[in-house]
Amino acid sequence: MKLEGTYTFKAPQDVVYKLLLDPAALRACMPGCERMEETAPDVYEATMKVGVASVKGTFTGKVQLKDKRPPAAFTMAVEGSGTVGFMKGEGVVELVAQGGQTEVKWSGDAQVGGLIAGVGQRMIGGVSKMMIGQFFKMMEDQLGKGGAR
Amino acid sequence: MKPAQFEYFDPGTLDEALKLLRDHGDDAKVLAGGQSLVPLMNFRLARPKVIVDVNKIPGLDYVRDVDGMIHIGALTRQRTVETSSVIKGKCPLLTEATYWVGHLAIRTRGTVGGTIAHADPAAEYPCVLSALGGQVVVKGPAGERVLTADDFFVTFLTTALQPTEMVTEVRFPTVPPEAGWAFVEFSRRHGDFAIVGVAAMVQLDKQRKCTDARIALCGVGGTPFKARSAEAILKGTEVTDKVIQAAAEKVGGEVEPEGDLHGSAEYRKHLAKVLTGRTLRKALEKAGKVG
Amino acid sequence: MTTGTATKQKRQLRTISMTINGVEYEGACEARKLLVDFIREDLGLTGTHVGCEHGICGACTIFLNGQTVRSCLMFAVQADGQNLVTVEGLAKEGKLHPLQEAFWEHHGLQCGFCTPGMLIGALDFLSTNSDPTEDEIRVGISGNLCRCTGYHNIVKAIKAAAPVIKQRGTIF
Repeated sequence: MKLEGTYTFKAPQDVVYKLLLDPAALRACMPGCERMEETAPDVYEATMKVGVASVKGTFTGKVQLKDKRPPAAFTMAVEGSGTVGFMKGEGVVELVAQGGQTEVKWSGDAQVGGLIAGVGQRMIGGVSKMMIGQFFKMMEDQLGKGGAR
Repeated sequence: MKPAQFEYFDPGTLDEALKLLRDHGDDAKVLAGGQSLVPLMNFRLARPKVIVDVNKIPGLDYVRDVDGMIHIGALTRQRTVETSSVIKGKCPLLTEATYWVGHLAIRTRGTVGGTIAHADPAAEYPCVLSALGGQVVVKGPAGERVLTADDFFVTFLTTALQPTEMVTEVRFPTVPPEAGWAFVEFSRRHGDFAIVGVAAMVQLDKQRKCTDARIALCGVGGTPFKARSAEAILKGTEVTDKVIQAAAEKVGGEVEPEGDLHGSAEYRKHLAKVLTGRTLRKALEKAGKVG
Repeated sequence: MTTGTATKQKRQLRTISMTINGVEYEGACEARKLLVDFIREDLGLTGTHVGCEHGICGACTIFLNGQTVRSCLMFAVQADGQNLVTVEGLAKEGKLHPLQEAFWEHHGLQCGFCTPGMLIGALDFLSTNSDPTEDEIRVGISGNLCRCTGYHNIVKAIKAAAPVIKQRGTIF
């Protein structure tokens, strides 16, 4: 499925770019992230407990940051499998400065399979977008906590 | 598949149930009708460690007409709503919506509180509650609180309910006898989850001018979509076919549904427009016809 | 039989009893055992079938205290002390129920997998509408999926049985 959206950070572009690639911030903001370890440059192994309400599943997999073009864009590739299914996705994140703010445009493709994709078909698109939105909001909260500088 | 293991409690009073929720917090899940929860458990998509079966709690199964609102106890079965003469007389929009809720066997067990607390974006009762501007009564360790439908429904399957709280009552505003109302839903087979559904109530004065319009849609987002702009288009005007068309197009333009196997985003937007028009026309046919 | 490893929760069995088709049954099971599995496995009443396990197909439909429920969406412990009717309870003293007769007459079944749930579901529907039109029947049985017949003869059978059942004054 195609997933895309925008999120505006109230912070300058280079600060936002640094933040989005900061492993500590990623670990704190990736939904349900219980573990994230760098296994190779820009490659992280992660365990994430993802879900909505009582529907939860644990995914183990890989997060990779590549095609870095600071401070304008980068690509994030995620893949994981677990109790309720598997997922694989890759998205391009682009940053555009707007005065003192930064508009982040993200666009990607995700494949979801297994139980959650079948039974959860009606909601998977909406829930995925919502989680990505939550991720960016939590990232913005990180700035307030003195995350990336 | 079969459910994962869980600890099972069937408290005999509301206080006992609330104590169990307090003791177990996030680990516990309330089991009422089970028509939404047990499927999730059968597939192991949900694995609550503790189940608090509230079916034995007395005094939560009632339908009362109170000052312009129908108060329905959380454990009232949908099948009871279906055949309730009080609801048919005072809130017929809810009676009509019940026709679309699953199937007879589902409605035997499914409860009013349960479908509201589960908050499935395609569900009919949250849609009607949102359209009419109803309330949800919730009880927890801090006591009782009353939330509006707008505040209660947060997103997909998510409400303002805390893990230590339980829905105890759902309140639907009554439909004035001279108002028109309709619930229209589209799905591939009768009883399937709605692809898109519309609930509407319209009130006209003696000059056939619209004095009140309440519209909401299900299946177009994470929560019921309250069509405020469309309501505004109707209010204060003489509702002609042109006005209905304008309201329907407004809804079609405003909703931002996701696409999936059952229908693309464009298709759902189209459905939202067409069904809003149909629902409003049906509602208007009834408006002003008393008795 | 020894149960699993030390990490598994100890299996707690609850003793339950229920009246099914007029007969009292007793058994013991975990809280998580579904009612449909209990009546099939523990009580040997295999007429009720397991289909989708999420309430859509209707194969598991039975009567609980006079109204139909999806037995795949109830835990057996929830039926403790209750009154059930399954497909085995429709025929009385070797004589088929009028609805079963009609299914036979009108060839309303092929493989028979949906049939128990279909019979029970149709009877509950007829209790709400004793004189249905064909369209009303089609909506009324929409909670029971059939992969074989295309529903045509099922609808015919129900239409034919409706007046007979109405005359009897009871769906049982």
